[in-house]
Amino acid sequence: MSFDALAARALDTASQAGASYADIRFEIARTERIEVRNGVLATLSDSTSRGYGMRALVDGAWGFAASSDLSDAGLDRTAARAAGIARAGASIARRRLGEAPPAAYVDTFKTPLARDPQDVPLGDRVALLLEAEKALHTSPSITVGRAWIDLWSTEKHFYSTIGSKIAQSIRQSGSGIQALAVGDGDLQRRTFPGDIGLYKSGGWEVIEQAQLRENAERIAEEAVALLRAPQCPSGTFDIILGGSQMSLQMHESCGHPAELDRVMGWEANFSGVSFLEIGQLNKLQYGSDLVTIVIDNTIPEGLATVGYDDEGTKSGVSDVIRDGLLVGYEMSNDTARTIGRRSNGCVRAQSWEFVPMIRMCNLNLLPGKTPFEHLFDDVDDGIYMESNRSWSIDDHRLNFQFGCEIGWEVKNGKRGRMLKNPTYGGVTPQFWNSCDAVADERSWVPWGTPNCGKGEPMQTGRTAQCAAPARFRAVRVGVGYGG
Amino acid sequence: MDSEQRERLAQRVLERAAGGETEVMVAWSSSELTRFTHNAVHQNVADADVVVKVRSIVEKRTGVASTNLLDDASLDAVVRRASEIARLAPQDAGQPELPRGGAAKTPEGAFMSTTAAATPEQRAQMADAIFRVAEHHGYWCAGFVTTSCGGVTIANSLGARASFDGTDSGVNVKMNAADSTGFGEGYDTDVRGLDAHEIASRSAAKAKDSAAPRSVEPGEWTVILEPAAFGELVSYLADHFSAQSVEEGSSFLCDGMDKRYFSEGVTLSDDYAHPLNPGMPFDFEGQPTQRLALVENGIARAFVTDSYYAARMKRENTGHALPAPNAYGPQATHLVIGHGSKPINELIAETKRGLLVTRFWYIRTVDQKKAIVTGMTRDGTFLIENGEITGGVRNLRFNQSIIEALARCELGNALHRTGGYSYSLVAPAAKIEGFRFSSGTDF
Repeated sequence: MSFDALAARALDTASQAGASYADIRFEIARTERIEVRNGVLATLSDSTSRGYGMRALVDGAWGFAASSDLSDAGLDRTAARAAGIARAGASIARRRLGEAPPAAYVDTFKTPLARDPQDVPLGDRVALLLEAEKALHTSPSITVGRAWIDLWSTEKHFYSTIGSKIAQSIRQSGSGIQALAVGDGDLQRRTFPGDIGLYKSGGWEVIEQAQLRENAERIAEEAVALLRAPQCPSGTFDIILGGSQMSLQMHESCGHPAELDRVMGWEANFSGVSFLEIGQLNKLQYGSDLVTIVIDNTIPEGLATVGYDDEGTKSGVSDVIRDGLLVGYEMSNDTARTIGRRSNGCVRAQSWEFVPMIRMCNLNLLPGKTPFEHLFDDVDDGIYMESNRSWSIDDHRLNFQFGCEIGWEVKNGKRGRMLKNPTYGGVTPQFWNSCDAVADERSWVPWGTPNCGKGEPMQTGRTAQCAAPARFRAVRVGVGYGG
Repeated sequence: MDSEQRERLAQRVLERAAGGETEVMVAWSSSELTRFTHNAVHQNVADADVVVKVRSIVEKRTGVASTNLLDDASLDAVVRRASEIARLAPQDAGQPELPRGGAAKTPEGAFMSTTAAATPEQRAQMADAIFRVAEHHGYWCAGFVTTSCGGVTIANSLGARASFDGTDSGVNVKMNAADSTGFGEGYDTDVRGLDAHEIASRSAAKAKDSAAPRSVEPGEWTVILEPAAFGELVSYLADHFSAQSVEEGSSFLCDGMDKRYFSEGVTLSDDYAHPLNPGMPFDFEGQPTQRLALVENGIARAFVTDSYYAARMKRENTGHALPAPNAYGPQATHLVIGHGSKPINELIAETKRGLLVTRFWYIRTVDQKKAIVTGMTRDGTFLIENGEITGGVRNLRFNQSIIEALARCELGNALHRTGGYSYSLVAPAAKIEGFRFSSGTDF
């Protein structure tokens, strides 16, 4: 379906209504979810949503309106509404916030696919999950087994009054399994892969990489074993974090605080502000010199990989933390301009209904040089933790606390007995400066987060934090249970 | 889209169904939000959509498909897809017949035409009133003004028919001073019930009174939680009152019903008709929703069900289904925490040494079974000494079992509606002894 004529009409209407700049983003999104729960298909759904969101700039104020009505009258009404909303905002503005983007592009982008999920019969997809979920029931203590697949397909067509015309076909996929064990007044869970499943850009190959069936019995047995495992001790320990927990640690304590809209107070009333203030740029030693974190929205498997963001900015690579030093942010056009930079293409909307906003996109901790198994070598008394169970961080992104599904003692360089309920906490820059080893590229995974919440109205974003396991010294452990 | 239009649309869908049982949900929404920071609007948005969702059940096999394309071909396609999916699904012997519905009366005040007709200019004027309060104090403010309206129609092939139209509006203000912040909120189905100036002034007073905060030691404290803080804390208990959580063993109610868990003064209900938060009188299967006492005088009395769990657990269907497909089980979405007898000022006056908490942030479950949660204080935390508020304190992290907290609490006498992105409930202030803080901050 061509949107050229519809876009031209809507953009003309917005211009006639007083917009000095306008853009329109048409989206057709298909969402498929299959979830098996205790041998029953709890979810088997297929949703299609088509609509468009329009931004209009009037006197330096933005207005946004979205609709599923593609008729001429609907386009006219929505365009006028976006301009009218912008004008209402401009009427009380103390200063100008918005400007038109600095560049226009005419281009296309398509997610590389090894195998289109639509080529896999629905019956085969269901069978894979039924088999994996069945394998979780290794013990009567397993009260809930779950297995799921998410398949997302989004066609985006972006047009602007400065001449952009960008068509993108984006495919994202993910799957996971989870076992819940109950016994002796306790409840324990294990999830695989990671804490939410494996989510990447791509097709059926992403589902196959997860190896759900191959890992189901081990995961279930770990859940049952946790019921009898000793409580993780409280105190100060060296800790080693598995890759998916590193992904969430980055997400909460680097990805969110480095959003420049948050730094500028745009999220202050809800998700908060940031300790990474603009005055700290090129000054703050955020982490040790082993910590280099980059935004790369071009890597093939990153869940947030696209050709262009939702403001029409081309994807690229840029630094946030270089050798431990704060050197950059995730930026939009308007926020980047305030610090004399150009947007690095980190703007996304959940769907056509939502206004685009800054997202962390693909945030990558570059791998280190230590083989994973050698992270344990010079730990005399430590804890190894995997798979997040709980996460919380203050509204400046400093004081954090995480809990994991499973831990193991580390004594004299060796992994020892299993521990339940491991939790740890700290203050962001002190924590990252205590990082003294990052595992090498062999254990580096582009972990996707399909459910990042931000903004008002709340939007759910798909981000990635590509990471390998890492080691941190002298961390406070056991904080969730009185430590 | 009004209820008659939605019902006609639902009928068009039902007429396309062939074989088995079919349920149709038509959901229309239109929402607007004006968001501001540094005393200027930076996001100003509106959206509208209609979604048609079809659940097809064929020989106890279930499929769900949805679309927002309303032409005949798209409606044919969505019905066909739901049926195709159902035929590929394995049988679920526990799948009951769809509910046949029943009378469900929309509570007074759920839909207010004044809110449905609100304009961007109206929201801008409310935002401007907030800016003026901030400017008067020399602060900067961040927050939003929002209005919305929507409707849901449920119809199924066994005859259930239910429609609901509702509106909502809200104001949220965070005031930012040099070394302190304050918070105020208001929600009402009638936008005329929101006084933006008053809410902003309340938020500014919090920022002013918590200036120059001092540090206090973490540990066990007597706390007075204002309704926003107490309500958010208790919202993390809602899932324990789901039949699914009880059945799978993750709810604290697995230790027994009709048993005392909380202080005698604690009463918790699910009430869609409460005047402070009137809502939909039926669930997403079209079953009339019961107004349920979940906890009476500290004793657990009930949990919520839907048709699936009612049949599975051989209990009555309380009408708390979420939209299909639903892997989360039935949920209590209109929690009301009953009030006590004392004004919050009296609770404070009776406190020798404690903390007054305006609001929490980023609460997450640490231990599901024990209902231990962690989170931070935010936007106005105060020291109470000898019954008086003596100044602001820096923010603290807590780790606390909600069950244990409710066993040591006394409730305030005034109810307020409070809300976040995932909950909307009615709560009083609460005084809790031995609330456990584990670490602090420098702000």
